[in-house]
Amino acid sequence: MMLSRIADSLFWMARYMERAEDTARILDVNYHMMIEQPPHAYRLRWDPLVAITGEQERFSAHYQQATPRNVLEFLAFSPRNPSSIVQCITSVRENARTIRDRISRELWENINGLYHSVTRYNAEEEIAVGPHRFCNAVKFGAHSFHGVADDTLPHDEGWNFLQAGRALERAEMTARIVDVEYHKLVDSSASGDAAGNHQWMAVLKSVAAYEFYRRQYHAGIEPARVAELLVLHAQLPRSIRFNIATVQRSLRAISGSIPGAYADEAERLTGKLHESLMYDRMEDIFAQGLHAFLADVQKSCRSIGEHIARTYFYYAVVQ
Amino acid sequence: MPSQQAQLAEDHLFRDYDTGSFFDEMFAAPGQPRPHYATIFQELGAMAPTQFQELRQLADFSFLLQGITFTVYSDGQGTERLFPFDLVPRIVPHSEWRHIQRGLEQRVRALNLFLQDVYGPQRILKDRVVPRPLIYSCRHFCRQMIGVDVPRGIYTHIAGIDLVRDSRTGQYLVLEDNVRTPSGISYVLENRQVMTRTLPRAFQLHNVLPVDHYPAELCQILRRLSPRGGDRPVMVLLTPGIHNSAYFEHTFLAQQMGIELVEGRDLVVDCDIVYMKTIHGLTRVDVIYRRIDDDFLDPLAFRPDSILGIPGLMGAYRAGNVALANAVGNGVADDKAIYAYVPAFIRYYLAEEPVLSNVDTYLCARPDDLAYVLEHLPELVVKAVGESGGYGMLIGPAATQAAIADFRERLRANPRNYIAQPVIALSRCPSHDPRTGRMAGRHIDLRPYCLFDGEQVTIVPGGLTRVALQPGSLVVNSSQGGGSKDTWVLGSDA
Repeated sequence: MMLSRIADSLFWMARYMERAEDTARILDVNYHMMIEQPPHAYRLRWDPLVAITGEQERFSAHYQQATPRNVLEFLAFSPRNPSSIVQCITSVRENARTIRDRISRELWENINGLYHSVTRYNAEEEIAVGPHRFCNAVKFGAHSFHGVADDTLPHDEGWNFLQAGRALERAEMTARIVDVEYHKLVDSSASGDAAGNHQWMAVLKSVAAYEFYRRQYHAGIEPARVAELLVLHAQLPRSIRFNIATVQRSLRAISGSIPGAYADEAERLTGKLHESLMYDRMEDIFAQGLHAFLADVQKSCRSIGEHIARTYFYYAVVQ
Repeated sequence: MPSQQAQLAEDHLFRDYDTGSFFDEMFAAPGQPRPHYATIFQELGAMAPTQFQELRQLADFSFLLQGITFTVYSDGQGTERLFPFDLVPRIVPHSEWRHIQRGLEQRVRALNLFLQDVYGPQRILKDRVVPRPLIYSCRHFCRQMIGVDVPRGIYTHIAGIDLVRDSRTGQYLVLEDNVRTPSGISYVLENRQVMTRTLPRAFQLHNVLPVDHYPAELCQILRRLSPRGGDRPVMVLLTPGIHNSAYFEHTFLAQQMGIELVEGRDLVVDCDIVYMKTIHGLTRVDVIYRRIDDDFLDPLAFRPDSILGIPGLMGAYRAGNVALANAVGNGVADDKAIYAYVPAFIRYYLAEEPVLSNVDTYLCARPDDLAYVLEHLPELVVKAVGESGGYGMLIGPAATQAAIADFRERLRANPRNYIAQPVIALSRCPSHDPRTGRMAGRHIDLRPYCLFDGEQVTIVPGGLTRVALQPGSLVVNSSQGGGSKDTWVLGSDA
């Protein structure tokens, strides 16, 4: 028996944690790629980071320029950005607080400890020394969160909502990363040149897939292959397909529907998206346009999220 | 006792300790610990102040990590704070506890009988033991409850009764009754846990009675209230939500009892049946341990602007389809003016003499009392009858001229709303003062938690000892800068 409100909080707790981790990964990798580049490359490289998080409007309301300092402050620390890492961790904790009777003591203390540690960082100091220390702490925090959750929560419906939230957020984030980077790089420079190569390495590293790519392809960095890996690979834990499969599995576990059938609109959309990620080839996707495809993926992800909410969290009570 | 003196560290925690003119819980005379405090005095006295300081930090960190905090609203923004914990335990010898226990059992029974009566036949009003206008003018007297048959006749499932020790006599007095939604039990259990981890040796040297069976006892009482019977009634703890100052406690108790923690928006009422919204539809609810005040329970029956409550809940309750603990309308029994009559309840309903005395109380509703109070405001404590948590209070000797003048106006405008009591010189217990790194005497009270199942009163040994950590302060409420101590009831007398 699971209260709708609790399922809602578990789902969002996982989403916020994933958002914090993804942002930390992107910031960390790009910052270190950037410092190996000449200063004129700043503008080219830091705008897109804001675009990936989808907060361009809010950013330009508060800052004149996308300098590394401003982007770092905005994405990592700013209380004015609800998607900043510190705000995401705060939201994780707020959600956890409303359900702390339902999560393990270990998980609560893990989240509470992470919150106290990230809020203790001084933004200006971290900006001065570079984001690695901070981002690494967030990454470890997220890993530890998932480890403790897996090891101390019963793998019941609540745990499945946690899995679904994390995977849905991650699928959408990977779609945005590929979309923004691919767009920019293919438009601005020929693929394969040094700068582009550098940038694609950053993309791979930010989703922890660089070594995997090297082993898989034994070749130079090809944008099309990077895209293929991040969109269609079945085993890579940050690929879109992998995560949509996880969403599908979690939703089925919650509703009890069997493969080939769906219990609600969220499951139907997830199944449909998963089919296309399983059976489409990269050529097909390029033929239809990668950007259009990824825009569809993002739209489906948002739609799935809304239907999960409508089915399980905010259904109308008929009286 | 010279042997104990000899074992003190060179620069020890009790250096310069002043028992003052108060009853000191630890010392019978300066440097002379009472028998039941002798061991802890030796343990702490042998400790260097820096060592104690480290233990204190360890304990504080443990509370922070667990997120055991409460919310203060007086600063306008509702900030989360740690509830200060003092590592020096308050120790109660066995025979003293037996006396307290007898007094509390008697009081809880009398309060429950009074509530049955006042919402039923009203014998006590007909016999003119309590003036009828006093009852009907009580803000918490709930007309909707007249004639309602509450499950098993229980109103006061949980009572928190505040006791103080009067320095003049050394006797325990009842300061107030809390029979609506008393809070604080979670600190009793958490304090004990932190205490046994921080000072394990000292704890082991005492025969301390356990407290951790409280959630199981409470759960047992709630289970028996189920209108549907059966082994597995659906029980929930209803909280106002994350912004309530006792939110930590709500989550703690729900988790410890293994019941659902719900907010008003999780529940709906249909045809006088209460349901909760789960991911697979509606599930019927049998028992609600509510931690929401009466006023906010049901916008249809009480405050229409309440968004915390559940429309139709009172209908379901009156129809007997759901049990509430505590019952609705209990505020009439812990009104501070009604308090003055509790000794009379004990004599009237139980034909017994009260084991624990009240503090002398002037009811401003009585013209003679009001005249006296207005004359003597600088010497008295004035309290608003329906408030709790240390709000709406005037402590005469500590108050400014302006505050006294303000209360004089308020008393004249609405005398029924106030009572006054002489200032009780609360007993003190050594407590660590972080500014000096030494022990200093601080005033304390004691709130035991009494569970009533209709027949038996069960009290976990001890309760919450609250301590006024500000030098000289008499206000122990957490909202007013108070802290707490672990309370050790010994299995024997020393």
